[in-house]
Order: sequence, then C-alpha cells, then structure tokens
Amino acid sequence: MDVRVDYGMCQDHGQCAIAAPKVFQMDDDGKLVYDKHPDDSQRDEVEEAADVCPVQAIFLDES
Amino acid sequence: MSTDQLTDAPFLNLADPTFSVQSDAVRQAREASWFAHTSYGLAVLRYDEVSKLMKDRRLRQGSWAWPAHNGVNEGPFAHWWSSALLNLEGDDHHRLRRLMNPAFSPKLIGGLVPRFQALANELIDGFHERGRCDFASEFAEPYAARVIAIMLGIPEGEWKKIAAWSNDIGLALGVTLKQDLAKVEAALEGLYEYADELIADRRKNPGDDFVSRLVLAERDGEHLSHDELRVSLVLLIFGGMDTTRNQLGLALQTFMKYPDQWKLLAERPELGKAAVEEVMRVNPTVTWVTREALEDFEYQGLEIKAGTTIHLLSESAGTDPRVIEGEPFDLTAERVPHFGFGGGAHHCLGHFVARSDMSEALPLLAQRLKNPTIDGIATWLPLSGNTGPIFLPIAFERG
Repeated sequence: MDVRVDYGMCQDHGQCAIAAPKVFQMDDDGKLVYDKHPDDSQRDEVEEAADVCPVQAIFLDES
Repeated sequence: MSTDQLTDAPFLNLADPTFSVQSDAVRQAREASWFAHTSYGLAVLRYDEVSKLMKDRRLRQGSWAWPAHNGVNEGPFAHWWSSALLNLEGDDHHRLRRLMNPAFSPKLIGGLVPRFQALANELIDGFHERGRCDFASEFAEPYAARVIAIMLGIPEGEWKKIAAWSNDIGLALGVTLKQDLAKVEAALEGLYEYADELIADRRKNPGDDFVSRLVLAERDGEHLSHDELRVSLVLLIFGGMDTTRNQLGLALQTFMKYPDQWKLLAERPELGKAAVEEVMRVNPTVTWVTREALEDFEYQGLEIKAGTTIHLLSESAGTDPRVIEGEPFDLTAERVPHFGFGGGAHHCLGHFVARSDMSEALPLLAQRLKNPTIDGIATWLPLSGNTGPIFLPIAFERG
C-alpha cells in the first residue's frame, strides 16, 4: 500500500505513531518518519492512524 | 545559559487570583524571553517553544499529581484521576487511547451535524423574542451538555443531572479540593452509577451511539474493562462539558470585540470552522497546558530538572507576533495551528466533536443574534487555568 504524509500540515503530535507504530515513528528530535510503502498487513493500523491524525495529514493509496 | 540570563528571565505569579494570561506583563515577558519563572515552575510564552515542548517526550502530562499536591492520596477521586487517560503515560496510555479513538472518529461526526444545528436553533428560540439572555446558562451550558447527551445516546432532557454532577467534579480543579472532596466524590459516585447503567444497557442493546462503541471496542482481542469504561465515560462527560461551555462564551466575548467579524460570519456561515480556530487561538478556555519534566535536560540553554512543572501558555503562543501578522482577529486569515486542544500524545480526544459542534453553533448565533452587546455585569473565572464566563448577560437585535 502507498502512504503519504503532508509534511506542510503535520504537527508531529505523534498520534499515528501510537496507532501504527510499525509504520510511523517519531525520531529523536520528535519529528515524524514513516514507511511510504508498508506491507498490506498494516492496512488496519494505517487507516486508524489516518483517522486519528488531529490535522488529517495522512493519505492512503492515492493514484 | 549564563546565570545572568537565568536570573534576568521574567517572573510571573500564576497563583495570584488577579493574574491574567492576557496582561501586559505577559506580553512584556514574551518580548524579553521565551520563558518566565513562576510561582510554580516555568511558563513558556512563545509559539515555537510551546509547539516543541508540547510534544517533547521528556515531559509528561502535568496534572497527574494534582490530588496528591492537595493532600488527597486515596479514595474514589484519587483512583479516578490516576486511572483516567489524561494522566496515564507510555504503554498504558497508548493501549487505552487506541481502544477509545474509534469512538471519536471524524467519520462519525458528520451525521450529527443536523442535530447540532437543530439544538442550536431550539436554544436560541428559547430567548430570541426577548432580545436578551444570559448566554452562559441559556445557550452555552445547555448546548455543551446536550451535545454530550446526544453523543451518549441518552434522552436530552437528562442534561441537567449530568451537568450538575460535572460541575461538582469541577470543584476538584480548584485549590480548595480538600474541603470540597465530599461533594466531588458524591458527584463522582452519581456519575459512576449513571455510567454503570448505561454500560449495562448498551451491552444488552448495542446501538450506534458512542457508549456502545466504547463497550464494543476491541483491539488484538482486548476490550475496555468495566472500570476503564466507567472511568473513561466520566472523563468524557467532565472533559467535554465545561470546556465547550466556556469556549462558546469566550467566542461570544471575542466577537463582541470584533463586530465586523460577527457580521462576516453571519454572511458567510462556511467560515464557522475558521471561527472556531481563530477564537481558540486568541481566547482559549484552556489558558495553559501543563507538563512535568521526566528527566533532567537542557532546552535552549536552560537546565530543566526532573519534576519541574512547565506551563505552556496557549494564548500567549497563539498571539506571538513572531508567527502572527496582520489583523489581530480575522476569520479569513491563514494562521498557524493553535494550542487550544493541547498537543502530542495527550492531544484532546474529543476535538473533532468540539470543532464540529461549535462550528455549527457560531454561524447560527451570528445570523440570529445581531450586534450583541453586554447587558449588565458579566462575571468571569480568573484569566488563568481554565477560564470562561460564569454569567454573561447580553442584548441583541433579532435576526
């Protein structure tokens, strides 16, 4: 699956890293890093991350 | 940072009942330094530093030790406080947050919009003929409480009961907690019994309300325990009631200062969302968010010791001239995000609901309450901690 985070919107709250820790992580400076092409087995978690993002900056499977 | 700079940093007496987060003293301190010393830890005053420290994992949510600070170490209130999501950290927090998140999904809010609009209009109908009202008790409070009733799937007529318990629990946030403890715990018991009945009912008859969603919530085979459910429901009732009530009153206060913006909102109701954001930036009910240092660390040259309380001043950050240009209050301006819902791991769980219900109410109010003005003597909570109107008499022209 394809995941994109709009870094212009992202505020590094880290809710995605709570919802889908295998795909989204906060680095030592508190900045978001993420896997742009996670395995499909992560779909539920990634959808949950997109849903809870306070600024709704996570987008899935755009073509 | 040198000792000189440290001792030169401004001092703000947050514990003084006359202290105001919107005072010249805070503005001057913000120009002098990114932080101030206070009667109780530090205050952070500028946008960038508030934004970073709000999410810094070397800090935990600051209110966890509140009961103990006030001499309350055991009993139902201490148990509720220490088990509530707000005061949990790490894996315990994340597990509970993930079980609760789906009940607050933005996908579920859209269907409630017509109910929010109907509720706002019904409440306005109640005083519209008169051309005056106490906005706090005739609109803000019943609106906030009945939105919660809608969310819980209970008869809206029950709102007064819920609101009374919630108000009594609010006494726990005052420095007189110890004296008020019996009242606080009686209210807690009332809400627990109410929550127990709701939980039992939804286990038998699940619907699409929010209590059913929490009862049915499941992740990796895990569910919320009965204790977690009742603790969480009380937190949600309490957390959603006063904040929304106060924020609506503060919104009206701000718009009375900027009547052209109120007219603009009436003409362009699609600005309702922007109105909520702009009001919460310049006049948030949560005037500061607290954090507590988990370890010793250095931040921008300042040594912060483990255990230090840090107040992140949301309004001071939101009006920082380093990031805000142009008119002080403008619904059409592009703004940086505000901190009225906190941030980081403890970002307000109910913000999609709060944003939606307030963004529906404000344009309807702007259309039907033209040129509102203060009509008598309004009374306010101190402009510190969580603030808002106690009594807000207004007069208006009927629209």
